[in-house]
Amino acid sequence: MRLKTGLATFAALVLLAGCGGYDETTTPKPEEPAAPSAAPPPDCTNDASALRSYAPTGDVGSGKSVQEIKKSGKLVAGVAGDTYLLGSRNPDDNQLEGFDIDLAEAIGQKIFGEPGHVEYRVITAADRIPFLQDGTVDIVARNMTVNCSRWEQVAFSTVYYDAGQKILVGSGSGIETPADLAGKKICASAGTTTVDNIRTLVPDAEIVTAPDNSRCMVKFQNGEADAFTSDDTVLAGFAAQDPYAEVLKTERLSQEPYGIGVRKDRVDLVRLINQVLEYMRADGRWKASYDEWFKDQLKVPGVQPPPVYGR
Amino acid sequence: MTQTASQPAPAPQSAGATAVTGRAANASVVPSSSGFTENVPRLLNRIQTIGIVACVLFGALAATVQLLGWQANGRAAENTEQVVRAQEIQSLLLRADAVATNAFLVGGLEPPAARAEYDETIEKALRLVADAAEAQPADRQVLADLNATISDYTTSVAQARDNNRQQFPIGIAYLNDAGTLLRAEALPMIQAVVDANSERAVDEMDAQHPWWLIVLTLLTLAVLIWLNQQVSRRFRRRVNAGLAIAALIVAILGVATAIHAGVRNDRNDALRDGAYRDAVDAATARTAANDAKALESQGLINRGSGATYEAKWDEQAAAVDDSGVLGDLWQQYVAAHQQVRDLDDAGDWEKAVELATSTADEAPTAVLNRFDTAAAERAANAGAEASDGFGSGDGISLALIVVTILGALAAAGAVTRGIDVRRKEYF
Repeated sequence: MRLKTGLATFAALVLLAGCGGYDETTTPKPEEPAAPSAAPPPDCTNDASALRSYAPTGDVGSGKSVQEIKKSGKLVAGVAGDTYLLGSRNPDDNQLEGFDIDLAEAIGQKIFGEPGHVEYRVITAADRIPFLQDGTVDIVARNMTVNCSRWEQVAFSTVYYDAGQKILVGSGSGIETPADLAGKKICASAGTTTVDNIRTLVPDAEIVTAPDNSRCMVKFQNGEADAFTSDDTVLAGFAAQDPYAEVLKTERLSQEPYGIGVRKDRVDLVRLINQVLEYMRADGRWKASYDEWFKDQLKVPGVQPPPVYGR
Repeated sequence: MTQTASQPAPAPQSAGATAVTGRAANASVVPSSSGFTENVPRLLNRIQTIGIVACVLFGALAATVQLLGWQANGRAAENTEQVVRAQEIQSLLLRADAVATNAFLVGGLEPPAARAEYDETIEKALRLVADAAEAQPADRQVLADLNATISDYTTSVAQARDNNRQQFPIGIAYLNDAGTLLRAEALPMIQAVVDANSERAVDEMDAQHPWWLIVLTLLTLAVLIWLNQQVSRRFRRRVNAGLAIAALIVAILGVATAIHAGVRNDRNDALRDGAYRDAVDAATARTAANDAKALESQGLINRGSGATYEAKWDEQAAAVDDSGVLGDLWQQYVAAHQQVRDLDDAGDWEKAVELATSTADEAPTAVLNRFDTAAAERAANAGAEASDGFGSGDGISLALIVVTILGALAAAGAVTRGIDVRRKEYF
């Protein structure tokens, strides 16, 4: 009897062991990406001298850099592909368009005497300086702020637009001033000075970061952020794509003077670009471009900043 | 002191109250070394019990080893089906992403055929996720998470499409987000399911144990021979017929079951290195190929970023090359893709897009579609062949289990009968 019981127990254990109960499948935890560090404080002074560029004097257009570009048959321009109004792809015809694109076209037209010689490369903000330095692009027309520390790495044209940091919120959200953001989530591009600015201005706001401005807008539209801070030109582009978003009509949180970036040693190309900017001021192309892209959104008349030379 | 059949020992001495009969004069009992005489009936009882237990244990253990092997092969088949299913989900999702991304590249409205293919592909993937969750309870949690992630992915694609339809460039951000979500979250989940089930399948394929059966048989035979020796020492017969029959049954069962397990083991090895490997390789190649096509489109959408996406494309192309699946068809796509890259790298972005989105027979999309169809068919056929292979021969396995149990019982009966004869001789 005991033998039978033992055998029965054994058989039951064997059957249970053979039922194939596997350990639960688990997904390995992804490695946490390293948080991008904020831009280091400049070891130079950002005064008016940082805005000085090279005067378009001498035989503009006959320098070595410009000749090289002419010989290659194309001007390679690093631009944004997702920043509506500045540089973005038109979903209808796949063409890039915007204020920065108009500037790149004007520069190309000046060098080659006809349109159609600009080759665009959509680049990220982080690509701008490395791509200029390694020659991947000839110019950067991608809402690039001129400052003294960047002047140590690349060269700039004179300022072609004075932008500034602002805040985009939901229409009717009740947020009317930066102070209203206390306890709310605000998105900013990781590793930019905009994060530091908003942290200083509204210490009680919860700052959410995203790899780029578009991802911040996605977070805002998906309700993961109550507000989004960036340059007013960038925010104007996003507000134009969302009828339920508006840019706060407050003072700019910072000044962001845009310039065309060029490799540091290609001074002759900078001089040519500065000449193009002056021609655009004189013949009204700068204003026409501003009116086409920004006038309705920024609701202020555009004024091309006066050139500052002396470098 | 030993006894031989040719030289019978003296007639048994009385032991305690045991009566000595005339028939017992034919048997003999060896006095113990301590000088005490043995209790032969009790000894016979013990021998009989040990013999029966040995036969029954042999039957139970041999049947159990076979049962476990049979169950393992069944699970190997199920796990193989789960691996193929999970890889199909992976391929379908990347296929959907390739279709959505390529459709985005076409200026203006999304082509209706592309939209229909995307919807159909996602629906197939979701149905397979439900099937997979039902097939393997251990995968349910990951598949539930995957289901939620696919939902987030399709939402992002829908948002991208809606924005694109209104000609808002932010649509690209949603599309990029969807692609990132798919690759950073959904694909690792599916890979976890593939890896877990591959490991399970391979473990189960190795669960045939012919050597266990051989050892079990030898041990049982050793016990029966030892028992025969014990009996033959005390009685005239060198061989006890019952024990001999039991040993013969055990030997036949042992050889038959070990050969069957060995054959299954060899067949499992052949399937693992053959059809199973083919299925996994074809599905891996298909997944990588669709990922490559999506990356080709991403490189064009993010205009001028071809080099960045080309590095990722190279990784996927290497995965297809390593698999060695459908090399000719794949090389046709590689050549077509190279034309796209050459155009884009030379600055002719419009022409590159035109070629990448062309439906012409030799354009990259059509060539990749042919590769996708062929790889899917190959993965499905090889997967079915592997699964069927693991499941084949079930009838023989079950019959052998039953025969083992019945044979072991018959052997136990033979032991009983053989010892009973000696007992009768004694009395």
